[in-house]
Amino acid sequence: GKVLVFPMEGSHWLSMRDVVRELHARGHQAVVLAPEVTVHIKEEDFFTLQTYPVPYTRQGFRQQMMRNIKVVFETGNYVKTFLETSEILKNISTVLLRSCMNLLHNGSLLQHLNSSSFDMVLTDPVIPCGQVLAKYLGIPTVFFLRYIPCGIDSEATQCPKPSSYIPNLLTMLSDHMTFLQRVKNMLYPLALKYICHFSFTRYESLASELLQREVSLVEVLSHASVWLFRGDFVFDYPRPVMPNMVFIGGINCVIKKPLSQEFEAYVNASGEHGIVVFSLGSMVSEIPEKKAMEIAEALGRIPQTLLWRYTGTRPSNLAKNTILVKWLPQNDLLGHPKARAFITHSGSHGIYEGICNGVPMVMMPLFGDQMDNAKRMETRGAGVTLNVLEMTADDLENALKTVINNKSYKENIMRLSSLHKDRPIEPLDLAVFWVEYVMRHKGAPHLRPAAHDLTWYQYHSLDVIGFLLAIVLTVVFIVYKSCAYGCRKCFGGKGRVKKSHKSKTH
Amino acid sequence: GKLLVIPIDGSHWLSMLGVIQQLQQKGHEVVVIAPEASIHIKEGSFYTMRKYPVPFQNENVTAAFVELGRSVFDQDPFLLRVVKTYNKVKRDSSMLLSGCSHLLHNAEFMASLEQSHFDALLTDPFLPCGSIVAQYLSLPAVYFLNALPCSLDLEATQCPAPLSYVPKSLSSNTDRMNFLQRVKNMIIALTENFLCRVVYSPYGSLATEILQKEVTVKDLLSPASIWLMRNDFVKDYPRPIMPNMVFIGGINCLQKKALSQEFEAYVNASGEHGIVVFSLGSMVSEIPEKKAMEIAEALGRIPQTVLWRYTGTRPSNLAKNTILVKWLPQNDLLGHPKARAFITHSGSHGIYEGICNGVPMVMMPLFGDQMDNAKRMETRGAGVTLNVLEMTADDLENALKTVINNKSYKENIMRLSSLHKDRPIEPLDLAVFWVEYVMRHKGAPHLRPAAHDLTWYQYHSLDVIGFLLAIVLTVVFIVYKSCAYGCRKCFGGKGRVKKSHKSKTH
Repeated sequence: GKVLVFPMEGSHWLSMRDVVRELHARGHQAVVLAPEVTVHIKEEDFFTLQTYPVPYTRQGFRQQMMRNIKVVFETGNYVKTFLETSEILKNISTVLLRSCMNLLHNGSLLQHLNSSSFDMVLTDPVIPCGQVLAKYLGIPTVFFLRYIPCGIDSEATQCPKPSSYIPNLLTMLSDHMTFLQRVKNMLYPLALKYICHFSFTRYESLASELLQREVSLVEVLSHASVWLFRGDFVFDYPRPVMPNMVFIGGINCVIKKPLSQEFEAYVNASGEHGIVVFSLGSMVSEIPEKKAMEIAEALGRIPQTLLWRYTGTRPSNLAKNTILVKWLPQNDLLGHPKARAFITHSGSHGIYEGICNGVPMVMMPLFGDQMDNAKRMETRGAGVTLNVLEMTADDLENALKTVINNKSYKENIMRLSSLHKDRPIEPLDLAVFWVEYVMRHKGAPHLRPAAHDLTWYQYHSLDVIGFLLAIVLTVVFIVYKSCAYGCRKCFGGKGRVKKSHKSKTH
Repeated sequence: GKLLVIPIDGSHWLSMLGVIQQLQQKGHEVVVIAPEASIHIKEGSFYTMRKYPVPFQNENVTAAFVELGRSVFDQDPFLLRVVKTYNKVKRDSSMLLSGCSHLLHNAEFMASLEQSHFDALLTDPFLPCGSIVAQYLSLPAVYFLNALPCSLDLEATQCPAPLSYVPKSLSSNTDRMNFLQRVKNMIIALTENFLCRVVYSPYGSLATEILQKEVTVKDLLSPASIWLMRNDFVKDYPRPIMPNMVFIGGINCLQKKALSQEFEAYVNASGEHGIVVFSLGSMVSEIPEKKAMEIAEALGRIPQTVLWRYTGTRPSNLAKNTILVKWLPQNDLLGHPKARAFITHSGSHGIYEGICNGVPMVMMPLFGDQMDNAKRMETRGAGVTLNVLEMTADDLENALKTVINNKSYKENIMRLSSLHKDRPIEPLDLAVFWVEYVMRHKGAPHLRPAAHDLTWYQYHSLDVIGFLLAIVLTVVFIVYKSCAYGCRKCFGGKGRVKKSHKSKTH
């Protein structure tokens, strides 16, 4: 079949790429649709890259991203951070929206896509652009995602989500909450609604314009046939799910390659102490000098060899045991038996690589869901979380020594690893199966819950409850009235006598 | 590993057998325990059978089944039927309960089970005797079931099921209901507990006595690690599910054998018209003579050869094309390309055999969930439902001719069949995987939702909502009062002037 892929830039693309490669290997044709200006999405031999022009340059895009990362390392008060973060999100979403508008207003490209008659669209709905396009072209979609912020994913799948035991994004709560935590869990989404409103409503008008009818974002997204979630219930808390949700967490750590000579040499030279892998993800290239020196100092105090992915200036106090590299084969290194610990920003990809290779983690969450990820691993005793802004060299040193020397961390992560890897089918095969399924059957309408066709008050049966209550009340009222009437008739005489008696005494 | 199996007699047991066989082939030791009085549960080569004495005989169980089959054809007014059914359910369930009680009070037998050190327990929770044994022996449990009455399964898994689009069993509703159907759904939800209490609450008291702690039926069922549900979303409507529910619908139609010479001969002799398979399940052995003659007449009017599984007296008007047999290889016959239609009581096993072999159905639901099954197939255009009490020979003839000659029925059932059989992993393998999973990991606590630890008002966040409402109301009240106070202060003079003015005019 023919698959149109509309990916999201960044690490999201990297795991989707594996699916595209596998689809190609099974004889499908994939066309990846991306803006001219990209960071990770590049031409490759297992798909055709179709680009479209956008009104910004690579330079500008990169600078924008860099500016955003810098904010993470600035100490400020809570309100300032919140405002700055929402400013960043606004900026990013404006760039993405402009890119989307350029695509959807590109008449000749749309026509070309329409005539290519694709069987389905594979897209990350964090940017709803791909789904708007699919709706316009009238072809079924498979979503590939971690989540959509503000509970839009549960709304669009009609998946119930009781806030009493399902922690909301960014709350850093677990599934067992105290009363006040549950209050927080209920209030948090309200605050986030503002940001989401800003980023998503403009897609709504874009979709309405293209489809020539008034549509809501949730409605557009609800037409996805299958949702492939990069999660599982070893890492996420158990909660209700829907039949068209498929969980493929850990899909990114399936493919393993042998280490290159360079890294093999580093690992072998580490001796009995083994190695520690350190990466803050593809987004963070530079850390403020003072912070970098603090980190370097802490790293120098442990006996393990450190492989630190860092593209910034080399800290002057870097110890002998620390090796700076521009890039490292993270999953392959973590899979090596000598890996003792993993210092990570706790993005979902990194966390899953830590889990499936069974390496205890020291986590420095920077933004977004990383705080939640770190919290989950911490509550399961598989890692230690540090606040990257406030931590000192001592804190990092202690955290590293704890996860390396305290046996319980290794035991806990190994238990999670064995649960995670014990599955009837590998996540990559599962993802490919469902993509092919949607192609074979032209969607999966039998998995679409009827809830989509109900209004909110019908969904909650408020009309039925009101109706039944009205009946009960009417019956009670009639019974009461007739009883009262009956009583008056029966004891009427007596009553009147009493009354008259009473009035006499006055 | 060592697996303890506590099955329930009847067709439920037959599909469990496949799983047990597979587990034995994988090198596990399986012990099946059953009451001495059992009809279908017999010694098998691939498991150890251990029977325990019960205060009733084989004949009593057979009689109960026969009576159930016969009562279906009683032409009683609705209310009398309800009362009769109620009494029968009460009688049968107290018989089965006494069997369970005898097992649990059989100290010697229980002690020997305890000494066997099983790794897990596989049971059908339709009668929660196995659940009590699981708790008594502290074994992780895997449930194997179709569904539990009165939504006990949903309650025990904490699975949300909005009444607005999840039809209640026995309601004959689909997932698309109009207002009055939703009212019906709600009324069933409000009253179903009453019927279930008769069957289930005695198990609660029995368990309280055996486990020496206060337990409800829900407490008995909810610790199950995995729920293997004999359903899927081709037959059932999409609805919320929980991570520890595994769907293995169609598990009973996997194993195909070649037809015996006898049946091969019948099929071959049927010519171009093919065959119709007719069975009302293992429970119905006899049909009132008048009804049987009506059926026989209708069957005689179609050109197909009819294979009728019937153990009652041969109707005198039986036509040449109808062959009565005491037993038939239902799944193998349906799998034959000459199978044109399937007359079934629409038990879930039969329905799945119809779906996976792609044979359109004429359904005569008799009791329980069979009405719902028939409704589901009918709304999907894969069969026609008849009321067995009211139907005439003409009705049956027409229904048969419709499903055989109207192409749409065959097309619809073939579409369902292709959707049903398109799955990443076969249901039998999936069931075996999850039983082994629970044995390997000694349960699956990470799949247990935190909702189990909440009270009902906490689950629905009523306390949080109340708290937030109280705050809002307090703030509103204070603001209102202070405004009022402020107004009085500011416009106090004026107000008083006006007042005095007013009073003057009077």
